[in-house]
Amino acid sequence: MFTAAAEAAVPAEQLLHSALPLMVIVLPMLAAILLYLPGENWEKPRKALSLAVCGLTLLGSALLLPGALAGTVEQQLIGFMQLGLYFRVDLTGWIFGALIATVWFLAVLFSLTYMDYEHNRRRFFSFLIFTLGATLGVVFAGDFFTLFLFFELMTFSSFILVIHEQNRQAMQAGALYLYLGVAGGLALLFAVLLVYASAGTVVMGPLLGHLGGQRTLIYILFLVGFGIKAGLVPLHIWLPQAHPVAPSPASALLSGIMIKAGAYGILRVTLLLYFPAGHGSPADWSYIARLGAVLFWIGMVTMFSGALMALLQTNAKRILAYSSVSQIGYIAAGLGAAAYMGLEGGMGFAGSLYHIINHAFFKAGLFMMVGAVYMLTRELELPRLGGMARKMPLVAITFLIAACGIAGIPGFNGYASKTLLHDALLELHAHYGYFSLYLAERIFVVTSALTICYFIKLFRGLFLGPLPDRLNRTCRLSLTANAALSSFALIIIGIGLFPNLLLEKLILPAAARFGFEGQAMDHLAHFNFFEHHPLEAMLVVVLLAAALYLPGAYRGWFNWTPPQWLSIHALLYRPLTNLLMSAVCRGGSLVDLAVGRLYDRSGSVARLWCRYIGDFDGVLDRFYEHTGKAARGLADRSCSMDRALDQAYSKTGLLARLLADRTSDLDHALDEAYGKTGQAARRLVDRTSDLDHALDEAYVKAGDSARKLVDRTAELDHALDEAYVKAGDSARRLAGKSSTWDQHPEPPGAATAKRSWNPAQWNIKNLNFDNLLLAAVLGVILFVVFYYGRR
Amino acid sequence: MEETAALAVPIFAFLFPILMSPVIMAAGRRSAQLRNALALATTAAVFLAVVSLYPIMMRGEIIQFTLFEILPQLEISIRVDLLSFSLAALASFVWLLCTIYSIDYMAREHAGSRYYPVLIFTLGSCQGIFMAGDFFTLFIFFELMSLIAYILVIHEETPQALKAGYKYLIMTIIGGLALFFGIIITFELAGTVSLAAGPLVRETSLLAFLAFISFLIGFGMKAGIFPLHVWLPDAHPVAPSPASALLSGIMLKTGAYGLLRMIFHVFTIDVIRAGGWDKVMGVIAVITILLGSAVALTQDDIKRRLAYSSIGQMGYILLGMSVLNEKALIGDVFHIFSHAFMKSALFLAAGAIIWKTGKRLVSEMAGIGREMPFTVGCFSVAALAMIGVPPLNGFLSKWTLGLGALESGQPFYVFVLLVSSLLNALYYLPIIVPAFFGGLEHEHGSGFNIREATPRMVAPIVILALSTLLFGLLPTNIPFDLAQLTATFLLRGGP
Repeated sequence: MFTAAAEAAVPAEQLLHSALPLMVIVLPMLAAILLYLPGENWEKPRKALSLAVCGLTLLGSALLLPGALAGTVEQQLIGFMQLGLYFRVDLTGWIFGALIATVWFLAVLFSLTYMDYEHNRRRFFSFLIFTLGATLGVVFAGDFFTLFLFFELMTFSSFILVIHEQNRQAMQAGALYLYLGVAGGLALLFAVLLVYASAGTVVMGPLLGHLGGQRTLIYILFLVGFGIKAGLVPLHIWLPQAHPVAPSPASALLSGIMIKAGAYGILRVTLLLYFPAGHGSPADWSYIARLGAVLFWIGMVTMFSGALMALLQTNAKRILAYSSVSQIGYIAAGLGAAAYMGLEGGMGFAGSLYHIINHAFFKAGLFMMVGAVYMLTRELELPRLGGMARKMPLVAITFLIAACGIAGIPGFNGYASKTLLHDALLELHAHYGYFSLYLAERIFVVTSALTICYFIKLFRGLFLGPLPDRLNRTCRLSLTANAALSSFALIIIGIGLFPNLLLEKLILPAAARFGFEGQAMDHLAHFNFFEHHPLEAMLVVVLLAAALYLPGAYRGWFNWTPPQWLSIHALLYRPLTNLLMSAVCRGGSLVDLAVGRLYDRSGSVARLWCRYIGDFDGVLDRFYEHTGKAARGLADRSCSMDRALDQAYSKTGLLARLLADRTSDLDHALDEAYGKTGQAARRLVDRTSDLDHALDEAYVKAGDSARKLVDRTAELDHALDEAYVKAGDSARRLAGKSSTWDQHPEPPGAATAKRSWNPAQWNIKNLNFDNLLLAAVLGVILFVVFYYGRR
Repeated sequence: MEETAALAVPIFAFLFPILMSPVIMAAGRRSAQLRNALALATTAAVFLAVVSLYPIMMRGEIIQFTLFEILPQLEISIRVDLLSFSLAALASFVWLLCTIYSIDYMAREHAGSRYYPVLIFTLGSCQGIFMAGDFFTLFIFFELMSLIAYILVIHEETPQALKAGYKYLIMTIIGGLALFFGIIITFELAGTVSLAAGPLVRETSLLAFLAFISFLIGFGMKAGIFPLHVWLPDAHPVAPSPASALLSGIMLKTGAYGLLRMIFHVFTIDVIRAGGWDKVMGVIAVITILLGSAVALTQDDIKRRLAYSSIGQMGYILLGMSVLNEKALIGDVFHIFSHAFMKSALFLAAGAIIWKTGKRLVSEMAGIGREMPFTVGCFSVAALAMIGVPPLNGFLSKWTLGLGALESGQPFYVFVLLVSSLLNALYYLPIIVPAFFGGLEHEHGSGFNIREATPRMVAPIVILALSTLLFGLLPTNIPFDLAQLTATFLLRGGP
């Protein structure tokens, strides 16, 4: 996923693809699981395995050196978490990795003895080894996502180491460590997200040009994220609490190595991510110089306040923890100075890197030496300790060596790095000439003096003075513990006597990879640590320390405990966290409650409304009831009216029936009357019928006599007819004789004509209509003739 | 042949459990073992059926058909696309695990013969929601699920449970009505409510805004977004733990699913942006996230704390919807997966602790990790995932969501996400840390006095906790791939 910019980041250098970085990281992680699986009592195999894993990791890291010297060793795991893991080991990464593996190996070696005095050994070793893998992952990461992932793993697994004791103090310190770790992780995540969103890649490389307007925000987020882990003031508050409560080997690693993971991140961000690629524009250089100035001053403040606080502690491990804060200030100041100077910043870079290496050795060593004392005495408070030099001479000697290392005494390793850092400050002042930078150089000197003071205090408290009776018993350390402590002492002296070896073989090439050049690098290439100038500066520091310590110890200045309210915890963090937490909790709860109450109230309002509606409903109900009643009244009335009507009807019915009865009676009577009249009528009819019969008979008789009369008339008629016929015949004979009359016979009625023209037959009976008509026509003609003839 | 089989699967997935629930109820009268076996077989069958669609879905096909038509343009239809498939598979997976868990958990509870049929019925209706082909069908199943789940909420039948259940019921009904209103408006505007019809409303109007608000209320009620969340912290804790796990892990997601469907099928991204409605969602999301996380801090009852945490997490999902670019959508869908795994694991683990020890309060839980290392270990893994520790899945969803927000120029949203992560740390770590390391003021007890819950309860917790871890470590992260495919699918607006 992030391959695109990978090539651009490391130009013209040999690229080696190897699974070795991944193996070095994964081996301890897998081994950690293996360590946890068997029971609590597998002491020997557990120790052997732990040591073997650390040894193998150290070997693996060492094998990476040729590749890292030649260029970079790369390994990519595409597809892991969808984002891909990308490991890239360059020389700086290798230096850190080798340092981690070496110190871890020695710490585990020491733990073999130390942990015999502790509980929960299985958990401790398992998480210790796991943290090794995670820490190596941080420094071998090739992109910020991978770095972030391992950074978080480191935070969480080392948390288990911090709270190992599980007492109240440890739990509190652990909680602070964890919450600040998570907060720092989230700041880091935000920064990584912003880088990815603006640049499209999170590969470690110069991306300043791509970051756009959010670059200051991103830098601040990175600084917070890594600064918490590194313990920069004011984000250091967890450190003096968490480091002392852990078992000593774990404190050694926390202080010696893990805070360097934060420093490593700041280094990568400041000097790689924000460093202009090649020869950037002046604007970019002035921007990085300003960032460098900020980092530088944070480093200075951290350096000084850490040393001051260390001086005021009475708990041995707390002194060492504050000392770590102070030393990380040196480192940050050196990195800041490097950025401040731009390409000329090789001195600051070299000083920082060198100090990182040196601090890892002497601080881890010191914690283990104090741990050796604690292991046998169970005591860390300086007032109750003392005289241990007689009981543990080897520890006292190695402690003295390591203290000389951290104090920067020539011949011990701290001298080399502090000299470089001091030179870087001088160069810075020479370059810019600000008074503040002159002051910074003075602060550096005073802080170094204070460092010497608190180590004198610590050494005196632990090893010198009278031996408390309580502690007067045989104290013998095992061979492995002695070997571990002696190794630290030898490394410290070795580097101290041959400071140029590391500088020339590793640190200068690493600085060159970052692009540093110019006068500073030339100076570094031929740096002589043992010439009068740096020695003189160191002498000033020692004298100042003596001047401070002698009166201080005499007057008891260093036993002054600052009042609780003065601590940064009471001044800044507690009010701030209390305020924030109460704001968050109370605010959240208030809003939530308010919403809940709103609902409840809306419920009650709704209920109120419902009641109103209910009331209205009641009114309606009553209205209906009233109307109902009225209606019922009406209905009742109409009902009674109905009944009255009914009654009326029934009465009239009765009356009517009575009437009807009467009528019926009447009817009967009438009926009877009719019957009687009927009978009378019948009788009348009978009589009439009798009369009729009698009449009938009379008629019949009259008929008969009439018929007889008719017959006689017919006979008379007949006789007349015959008489007429005879008369006719006689007339016809008469007519035949007189046929001249028959002028116009009419063919159709010959007989008639015969008859009509038979004047003999002419009587009234024969005179028919034709004749009449003829006669009439004749008459008319006659009339006409006569009428007109008169004229 | 394959085609018809593919058609049958969605019907089977929602119909089979619904049909089985009376059978299970009847079986419960006979024997508890038969009942449990049937319930388990049903969930397993549904899970297998849904998973069998995987090859078809991977080819990018969509199964779609109408069952029957009620009115013209109003029908009961089925549609299975990538989003449906993802959620259906997730739901049936978690359901299966919760059913396994229930067997021992519910053995101590009363009314098991009511619990199992309801559980299975809810599964069916939940599958129905995811496989609905139109909003009307979706609405029917949505109401069905919500109302049936009431029985799960009030299972204990304590006055507290009944009160919470009452609240749940009222809110559900309000939500249902709002949803119905929204669907009606959409129907009025577009003439159809089918998912297949593409964006139904293509321009902003007052009515469209009203529909948007109605949908937001309706689905948001289920998703538990501010200020409609009030039922959630009451209802989820009182339910039996496996039911809480499902309520928080899956059923909340139906709301998120509905909102996604609303954004892409009712409206379009352009409409949402044009109306400025994404700002509405963004503001609500930010308040939801901060409120849920802040109030969770103050809760002492572990299940209440988890419930408030769910509110905050649903805010993340809403936030992704308000950002609405590809990255944010991937993060959104992936967070649906992540949260389902994480929150189910947390609720089941909390349930196991309550079941075994009777301790509900966080303040009583010091040292419990030494008694129940597996349970609390899984709880821790899931809680760390919640905080967003890489390489757990919660980190990946936060990362993707954050990238999406940054791509659209909203660093403020990322800030909110990270503040919420910090708050997550502040309320989860005080559970985990004392559980393992606390409670030992004076003794250095190195031995583990193990009193775990039964294997059938621990196994689902372990599986869920491992799914928060393993999917991230494997080269192919199936949920993430699905989320990616789904997001591109949704953005392309169909095949």
